[in-house]
Amino acid sequence: MADDPAVSLTGVRKTYRVGEPVHALDGVDLSLVDGSYTAVMGPSGSGKSTLMNLVGCLDAPTEGTVTVDGTDVTALSDRERTALRGDEIGFVFQTFNLMPRLTARENVALPLIFQGVDAAERGERADAMLGRMGIGDRGDHRPNELSGGQRQRVAIARALVTDPTLVLADEPTGNLDTETGARILDVFDEAHAAGNTILVVTHERHVAERADRIVHLLDGRIERIERVGRPGSAGAGGPADDEVTG
Amino acid sequence: MRLRESLRLSWRSIRGHKLRSTLTTLGVVIGIAAVITFVTLGVSLEAGILGDVDTGQTNRIYVWGSPAGEGGGPGEDAELIFTQRDVTELRNQSDVAAAYPWTPLPSESLTHGNDTVPIREGVIATGTEYVEADRVADGRRFEEGEREAVINPAAANRFEENVSVGDTVAVAVPGAGEVNATVVGVLETSEGQGPFEGFGEDPRIYLPADPYYLDLASEATDDPRYLSVVVEADDPRDVDAARDSARAYLESDASDAGDYLGGDLELTIQTGGELLEQIQDILDQVTAFVTGIAVISLVVGAIGIANIMLVSVTERTREIGVMKAVGAQNRDVLTLFLTEAVILGVIGAVGGVALGAVGGWAAAEYADLPLTYPLEWFAIAVGVGILVGVVSGLYPAWRAARTDPIDALRYE
Ligand SMILES: Nc1ncnc2c1ncn2[C@@H]1O[C@H](COP(=O)(O)OP(=O)(O)OP(=O)(O)O)[C@@H](O)[C@H]1O
Ligand SMILES: [Mg+2]
Repeated sequence: MADDPAVSLTGVRKTYRVGEPVHALDGVDLSLVDGSYTAVMGPSGSGKSTLMNLVGCLDAPTEGTVTVDGTDVTALSDRERTALRGDEIGFVFQTFNLMPRLTARENVALPLIFQGVDAAERGERADAMLGRMGIGDRGDHRPNELSGGQRQRVAIARALVTDPTLVLADEPTGNLDTETGARILDVFDEAHAAGNTILVVTHERHVAERADRIVHLLDGRIERIERVGRPGSAGAGGPADDEVTG
Repeated sequence: MRLRESLRLSWRSIRGHKLRSTLTTLGVVIGIAAVITFVTLGVSLEAGILGDVDTGQTNRIYVWGSPAGEGGGPGEDAELIFTQRDVTELRNQSDVAAAYPWTPLPSESLTHGNDTVPIREGVIATGTEYVEADRVADGRRFEEGEREAVINPAAANRFEENVSVGDTVAVAVPGAGEVNATVVGVLETSEGQGPFEGFGEDPRIYLPADPYYLDLASEATDDPRYLSVVVEADDPRDVDAARDSARAYLESDASDAGDYLGGDLELTIQTGGELLEQIQDILDQVTAFVTGIAVISLVVGAIGIANIMLVSVTERTREIGVMKAVGAQNRDVLTLFLTEAVILGVIGAVGGVALGAVGGWAAAEYADLPLTYPLEWFAIAVGVGILVGVVSGLYPAWRAARTDPIDALRYE
């Protein structure tokens, strides 16, 4: 690829030892071009979340290297990795992971606190983000006063509020009806159009098809990488398969 | 992260568990309140006692003779050993400005007009200087050799018609009938005028030893003796010198008291300053003891905070994971939990100070002492509250900070 990779994984292996060693990832090579939109699909337990955690600098590989924005994450100190996470990465978790005692607005503003953004600006940016998610009127609600789909949207707003270069989303539309799901996906499209690199895990084909390409995982290996057309463009869904050995 | 943010977030989680936070701080509240109450009581007691003895009386030296080796408070077990000649001689010793006897007059009752009230103690035969001039609210001090008296309000007000300057009162002395005295002065307060009397507010009447005591005693014996003598130095700085010369005279063969001393009887000479120190020592011991107990309850309070903070860290593992995932540094997490513990400690301390201030007030009121707040202890208490918070929060906060985000996010 001509462009600099925003993320690249080389020979990444993640092994859990609970009795028998489990290879959650078993030799993965993957690079995400800066500004690309990638979907990850695969059966449950195939290592999708593990991959996300590694790319999101939350976890370290057992073997291999993960590079984000040109820096080898495995070589960073805990402190530097945290800073990288806060500044460059927006994470939407499979389970929303909102702070139960904070309001939606405060939840969205949380990452900004650790960046040292002042309170007034935090409030504005959080409100703007909630507005984009279509839940601008729910800013004062706590997570337990929101529906599952609304919570998911708060989680997405929180991931996008720092305007991260890399957006990671684990099943972002899993809890949403098609219409709201489509709306969320539009937000990702916007972020993509704005130049952010996006990595989305999904079980749903139509969600994955919003991306440039789909990485298929199976048993911790990349089974194949499928290029897809942008929605609306001719031949969407008629993929030009692009086999890659895992 | 700024301090304001961590304060806000910590306050949030404290408010999120109102009951739990209240119970947690209660340990600290009780500990601090106990310290403040007892220290306030101690300080008030000290002020109550020392306020009376203090200034003007530190130049006094109290002299009495009691059975050897028994110690005891001022005048305890004192024997009648000082003659009028001793008192006169003491006045001539170097550095001595004044000397006068102090001896209670045996009495049964006090009569004013047609009104008689019992009085067993509190009729005191002494010298003019014993009653300080500025403590006489109305009238003047009695003069030696005159049939005059100074009365305190507690005694003056016991009669249906209050005794005032110019009135005549009669003291009934067992075996000697009644002796009359003209009241020439009423004291400002009813507290004791010196350590021999104690410092409580009791009815007292002061008479010149000459003539009252000498006349009465001469009827019973040809060698009347006083129970104790008060010696004064001109200046508190000369007190030690005056004490030494008084002792030298009294223990010499020249003194009449010296006849009795040496064998079973021992002379005790204490300056006002020494008495103050003794009182202060006792008060300090009481305060130290009570503070010790309070420290124990503070330790219990600290353990309470530590325990709750640990529970809270475990409970919020997932939240910690979220915060770290969105960019919270270990330091931020540490600050958050530490702030929370410190807030609990400070609330406990402030609550404790408030409760202790009320408790101290109630105790001083009950014991009828002038309320004096140990303000430095209020500051110390808040400092201790912060310390308790830091100490008890340190380990839980450190545990929270070390939490691995990925484990924390997976935590169910
Ligand atoms: N902490 C862990 N300890 C042991 N094994 C783990 C751990 N985390 C994940 N695994 C294992 O690694 C494998 C991959 O897990 P991962 O969560 O990445 O799956 P996934 O593709 O996200 O599945 P799903 O679609 O259900 O979310 C699974 O077999 C899982 O049991
Ligand atoms: Mg998963």
